Amino acid sequence: MTTQPLLELQHVDTYYGPVQVHFDLNVRVLHGEIVCLLGGNASGKSTTMKLILGLVKPRAGHVFFNGVEISGMATPQIIRLGMGSVPEARRIFSNMTVRENLLMGAYHRRDRQAVNDDYERMLALFPRLKERLGQRGGVLSGGEQQMLAIGRALMGRPRMICMDEPTMGLSPAFVERVLELIQTINQQGTTIFMVEQNANLALQIAHRGYVLQNGHIVLEGAAAELLDSRAIQDAYLGGQGT
Amino acid sequence: MALLEVEQISRYFDGVRAVDGVSLAVNEGEFLSIIGPNGAGKTTLFNLITGTDQPTQGAIRFDGRSLVGLRPDQFAGRGIARTFQHGRVFGNLSVLDNVLVGAHTRRKASRPRNLALELAGALVRSREARAEEAQLQAEAEAIIARFGERLTPRLHEAASSLSYANRRRLELARALALHPRLLLLDEPTAGMNLTETAEMLEFIRQLKAQGLTILLIEHKLPLVMALSDRVMVMDNGEKIAEGAPEAIRNNPRVIEAYLGQKQPRPEQTVEATDGSAVAG
Amino acid sequence: MDSFLRVFFDQTINGLVIGNIYALIAVGLAIIFGVGNLINFAHGSVYMIGGYVGWVCVTRYGLPLPVAFAAVAVVCGVIGVLIERFGLRSLQNAARISPLLATIGISFILDQLVQIIFTPDPQSFPNPLPSTRIPIGGGSIGTLDVLIAVTGLSAAAILYVILRYTRLGWALRATAQDREAALQMGVDVNATNRWAFALAAILGGIAGMLVGMYFQTVYPTMSFQAGLKGFTANLIGGLGNIPGALVGGLVLGVVESYGVAVLGPSYRNLFTFVILIGMLIFRPNGLFNPRRQPPPEPLTGTFIAYRKPVRVPRWAVITAAGVALALPLFMRDPYLLQVLTNAWLMGMVALSITLVTGTAGQMSLGQAGFLAIGAYTSALLALRLGWPFELTLLAGGVLSAGLGTLLVLPAFRLRAHYVAIATIGIGEIVSQIILNWDSLTQGPLGLTRIPPPSILGVDVFMPREVYWYSLALLLLAALFQWRLVRSSLGRVWRALREDEVAAQAYGINLYRYKALAFASSAFIAGLSGAFTAHMYTYINNETFNNSTSILGLTMAILGGMGNIIGAIVGALSLTILPELFRGLVDYRYLFYGLVLVLLIRFRPQGLMGTE
Repeated sequence: MTTQPLLELQHVDTYYGPVQVHFDLNVRVLHGEIVCLLGGNASGKSTTMKLILGLVKPRAGHVFFNGVEISGMATPQIIRLGMGSVPEARRIFSNMTVRENLLMGAYHRRDRQAVNDDYERMLALFPRLKERLGQRGGVLSGGEQQMLAIGRALMGRPRMICMDEPTMGLSPAFVERVLELIQTINQQGTTIFMVEQNANLALQIAHRGYVLQNGHIVLEGAAAELLDSRAIQDAYLGGQGT
Repeated sequence: MALLEVEQISRYFDGVRAVDGVSLAVNEGEFLSIIGPNGAGKTTLFNLITGTDQPTQGAIRFDGRSLVGLRPDQFAGRGIARTFQHGRVFGNLSVLDNVLVGAHTRRKASRPRNLALELAGALVRSREARAEEAQLQAEAEAIIARFGERLTPRLHEAASSLSYANRRRLELARALALHPRLLLLDEPTAGMNLTETAEMLEFIRQLKAQGLTILLIEHKLPLVMALSDRVMVMDNGEKIAEGAPEAIRNNPRVIEAYLGQKQPRPEQTVEATDGSAVAG
Repeated sequence: MDSFLRVFFDQTINGLVIGNIYALIAVGLAIIFGVGNLINFAHGSVYMIGGYVGWVCVTRYGLPLPVAFAAVAVVCGVIGVLIERFGLRSLQNAARISPLLATIGISFILDQLVQIIFTPDPQSFPNPLPSTRIPIGGGSIGTLDVLIAVTGLSAAAILYVILRYTRLGWALRATAQDREAALQMGVDVNATNRWAFALAAILGGIAGMLVGMYFQTVYPTMSFQAGLKGFTANLIGGLGNIPGALVGGLVLGVVESYGVAVLGPSYRNLFTFVILIGMLIFRPNGLFNPRRQPPPEPLTGTFIAYRKPVRVPRWAVITAAGVALALPLFMRDPYLLQVLTNAWLMGMVALSITLVTGTAGQMSLGQAGFLAIGAYTSALLALRLGWPFELTLLAGGVLSAGLGTLLVLPAFRLRAHYVAIATIGIGEIVSQIILNWDSLTQGPLGLTRIPPPSILGVDVFMPREVYWYSLALLLLAALFQWRLVRSSLGRVWRALREDEVAAQAYGINLYRYKALAFASSAFIAGLSGAFTAHMYTYINNETFNNSTSILGLTMAILGGMGNIIGAIVGALSLTILPELFRGLVDYRYLFYGLVLVLLIRFRPQGLMGTE
């Protein structure tokens, strides 16, 4: 095994117009890890996702994925390098059927036979989706849509999946299931990088975590350490310490 | 009687309950902050109170009179001013013009009720209209001067050339030019650094000291704690807590709303109805 | 069979056949709107070109129909790709409404090219199919009806197969539903757009060829109306909704057909535009979606490229006005004086547009309607009541302001793209009402023998005098506008343009101030129209058409939006330039189209900067 990380953000500064979102961001995700990026409102979490997916370009710094610099690349190119995405609010194609949504995940792949195999695997993994293959994505419940979004990302056979707030808006039962699912996927070899607001839950399954506050990484460490840290509560509930 | 009374107000978007049965009351001279995680419905609530959006249900009364069904400009006419979450200055207007637009509702001489007269008055300005313009302009400059040297040197520059922090200041100046009876501030320090935030805090503190009634949405809790008489917490469109700042800070429901639950509550796991057989 | 039923049957068949054509156009527009968020105004031109390519193949070269269809598909497909390249892709970072304006410019260019190559005259396109009619029930249908129906159905079927079973179709649908999510699935959104435009253009071109065969004629101006019909059909079904566009096309065709049966053929277009406006106001999301609010994005934003205006010192303005006033003393060529007079009159049009679109931010593409109201008011008052010119002129301006504002009023709830479409529709409605209100306007014959302009009872018809009169009017209009935009009212308008939501939150009544902006603009436009009517002594419903509106807009953009001096400079340059290069005069509108496209791409802030 190489010691080279699968994803690495080096000294990244990002801006939205005149507003700086990231300040000297440094993040590393190793092969096989689950890493979560935590942070409160407007901390710059979602922009980090967009940065990795090529939807936002950094003004300074570098982003490497699997040894390739991806900071200037178009999103479809990055996807073809083995990046998968479970976007914030799921972004299911609401007028396409469940089946079509799943297969859209494999849009960039040409290995038809393997795609079919993966499709069968997804149906086994998500029995509930199997019952609803012909229904439009838009009519699924929030939890089902989240499953579909994860399945759709897996259909691309990614090395790594970026998940933006995968538990947002889900009922507690579904939150548990999604977290279990993420662990399962990870154990089968897919690296996970997730952004979460729900820190306590995310840290239960993550190996490591970063805490982002106002565009700065203010804390990083093993999940267990972070879970017990009083500092994380401060980071969320107010920041500059009173 | 409270200056602003909101009763069981709701706003649904395509089935999503952005604001769900929220009630609140603000007394004259009071400072109420609204906090909560992203997507809690805070800005939607502001939109409802300022008429930018219409409630699905519920009542809003200001100074004892109902506001429901009025146009947003009529809300402003009653004396409600706001700033916007991401800043909405008039980019291609000068700093001074931005603030003068804020004083629109206070114009009398240049704003007759009759449309044709307003047009005629714009072509040939009466002495009263000129005097009013001069007076409002002097006042606008005075408001701008309250921000020290931040805005005054840029009086005639386009608002779009301002730094982000200056745009927020300009928005506040514009709101003050309306002579509001109720001022709503939506994240006035978003995108500001520590010094700028501290400065803004001081500025808002002065407004409060003058007796202005203020509603504030803010993520920076120290600011909220320093300014508020009362704090209201929203999550998922609902009000989950309300009280004095210190009590709110230690309220377990508030901590949970921000950080997430430690463990999903077991009874909910069992009772969950929507698809327990999804993840195999 | 009862004759009523027979008419009913025939009209239904007619309606369905025409509706099939509208559906083909509308589906193309829906595909493009879906993936590109663009109302493609060049689509009508592609349709017209389809008609011409078909005509060339069939009538000139006697090629068999399938070959003709293939040629239409290839030519139009390529044009579609070019439109995507220059109308959309190169404008990705420009103001949101830029692509719409660019496609208008492209449609000018395409229409003019066809006129240059094939002359503006209609070309006869004899139907190559056998003329046997197939009896059905009590009536009968022709072979061409069958061909159109079959083409429509098979196009729908092919489209269905593409969308449902091909990679391209999936990419199209995914991009239309969620562009960003499609990117994250690895879809090359640019390539998808290109294909969408090609596909849409092919459908549009085939529709054009079928229509050419159906009416046995093709002509260059068939493009504009067709584009609007397609757009209306699309709006009926819900913008961007492909099955909706199909249904919308058929509905529009049948409704129009019944309307024509009841009221007469000249009402055909009036019908469409009333439906267009009605849909925009009451069902902006289409018949199948009850929500009244139009979707907010991507249809926001006006066309203002911010750039500090060039400050022209007062002495320079006065000198320039002096030179213009003194010019006829030295230059006596009546032709040149006439050209300059036209420049001054167009200058007023540009002023009126720069006021409402530049200062107040309300995109107006139907300014010709205001000109026409002013022209007819003034001409009729002079002809019927013998009023003096000074009074009829003023009445033209005032009625244009009042009536024009009332007509636009329902569109005040709408924003950017929708306002643009609504104003086009309203301009067309004015023209159609003039066409159909025979007893007042003498319809297509027009009003003749309108008395020339006069002042204090003295007729003004020497070129020099007309020049001075028009220049004086322009200068007065400019002064009027200058006073307005410098007042607190002007500030309110600019605030409205910058941010409607924030402006309202600060007490600005949207309806009131949009009404004032449109009224002031229509007043100036009405004056220009009235003067023009008396100068030409003849007007009809086509004197002021869509080209006038777009030319005025191009002048306003060239000068710099909201810039008063700029509008006059823009009008002057665009009127004079084609004259300087004699060869350009015949290709005037080709030149204007090019200027518009290039301006939007390379200098949206115009010559003098925006204000």
